Amino acid sequence: MRDLRGGPWFPIGHPGHRGTPFRPSRRRLLAHAGRIGLSGLLGAPAWNVRAATLVELRFANGRRELVTNFPQKGAMLLLRTRPALLETPFEVFDQSVFTPNDRFYVRWHLADIPEVIDPGTFRLNIGGHVRQAVSLTLDDLVRGFEPFEIAAVNQCSGNSRGFFSPRVAGGQWSNGAMGNARWTGVRLRDVLDRAGVKAGALQVRFNGLDTGVLPQTPNFMKSLAVDHARDGEVMIAYAMNGERLPLLNGYPLRMVVPGWYATYWVKMLSDVTVLDKPDDNYWMAKAYLIPDTPFADISPGQKGVRTVPINRMVPRSFFSNIQDGAVLKTGQTTTVRGIAFGGDAGLKEVLFSSDAGSSWQPVRLGADHGKYGFRQWEAPWRPSSQGPHKLMVKASNTAGIAQPDHANWNGGGYMRNVIESVSVQAT
Amino acid sequence: MSGISADAMNTNARRIPSRTVPVALAIALATGPVWPQSDDSKASGAAPARSWVKMNVELPTGQVTFPPGNGAAIANAQCLICHSAEMVLLQPALTQDEWTAVINKMRSAFGALLPPDQVEPLAGYLHGINGR
Repeated sequence: MRDLRGGPWFPIGHPGHRGTPFRPSRRRLLAHAGRIGLSGLLGAPAWNVRAATLVELRFANGRRELVTNFPQKGAMLLLRTRPALLETPFEVFDQSVFTPNDRFYVRWHLADIPEVIDPGTFRLNIGGHVRQAVSLTLDDLVRGFEPFEIAAVNQCSGNSRGFFSPRVAGGQWSNGAMGNARWTGVRLRDVLDRAGVKAGALQVRFNGLDTGVLPQTPNFMKSLAVDHARDGEVMIAYAMNGERLPLLNGYPLRMVVPGWYATYWVKMLSDVTVLDKPDDNYWMAKAYLIPDTPFADISPGQKGVRTVPINRMVPRSFFSNIQDGAVLKTGQTTTVRGIAFGGDAGLKEVLFSSDAGSSWQPVRLGADHGKYGFRQWEAPWRPSSQGPHKLMVKASNTAGIAQPDHANWNGGGYMRNVIESVSVQAT
Repeated sequence: MSGISADAMNTNARRIPSRTVPVALAIALATGPVWPQSDDSKASGAAPARSWVKMNVELPTGQVTFPPGNGAAIANAQCLICHSAEMVLLQPALTQDEWTAVINKMRSAFGALLPPDQVEPLAGYLHGINGR
């Protein structure tokens, strides 16, 4: 495993780029980063001055500090310290289809997060509309159930919110509020069967150890329909990429809901409650609602739209080794590459365009680790004329959903999956 | 990284085959695409540990305060109860009405203690430092 905290990585066309496109060098990025005083950070004067490494995301007020002061985490883009919101710098996705645990993005809602977890006393409680409530130790889970493993992308509902136009309030993420891991644990179905789901069960609700600072702040809980919860893929993970979960990613247990947005992947999972009526808690009934339209897309200001809880992910694809402003040589072949995923269905196809979408060519896809994970893609490209070129990539999935060519909009800033493009120059 | 460690790779929940590749196949593969690194060098290692270690970490709390101005005292006293300041300062420029809506959501949905008569001064302050 290369040391992701090594030197800078530079994308194709950047003056610092060394090595072939496939093996870009062992160095690593701080694209657009420099070591400067914090006086510019947050658009603010020097009332909080200290040295910092800064990264400019590609939207207004997009300056972020690259921080290394979070436990079990390498260099991350800071969006909020408490409760932590940490974005994965995008160059990490060029290194591997599995996102290293120490670079995996972090998103918490409530600030009272346990810092000490004693595995000897920790219990996972299964209760509610069941024949017999069950309380399981971590060893019970590891030894008492058939292990289950799946590769799956965990993506924040609001990943890429910073690119919404018009902008919306919320976590101003670039594209790094996502990650792909190999999750190991137990099927939720098997755990529910240990307690015995009673007839009339409607939903299964998940709660973690985190709570709000104020007693009146709604506890963060999410629910799935009972049939979904019992589908044999929804699972409780006790390992991530073959290691224990970092605390900030949910140690010791988190929900894994393959193909669905990360809001359902409850961290520090402590309680699973079977409900015989719909969950009306704040986080299901009021938060994380999307317009019930294709791609959750409405016009800004549009009223009277029916909303539903956010659910299945849609396909996305990204460039990982080339950025806006790259300069390439005419007549010289470059390998452009990136990552893609299908959302709640496998990738069907990834297409590359070097002429702003007028024509498309299939790409070569890397190893398939399962339908819910990232796959790498690559395409050779030889600029035939000098001047600007617009490169684009788009994915479709086996359910017949393709990335749209116009960006969606909704007031929550959810579910962005427009076709990605980069503008480059050939000389 | 001190809170967790060493036992993380201890045997036995499930055996995953190692990635030993016969030489001839390795040569054949080498003629195909060469990804930046083996896709699964890390992820397919040993199965996770059966034993667990006590987790004990310290989470940073955030040092940033709100920039000086009329209303900064309200922001520092109220907003920082539940969250650090950065995310407020990293919002897009919002109208005063949009800032008011954000503050009212903090009060009605999350139970912020901000008294009603401080909503307008706080919205004015936030609009002043990051408004449109």
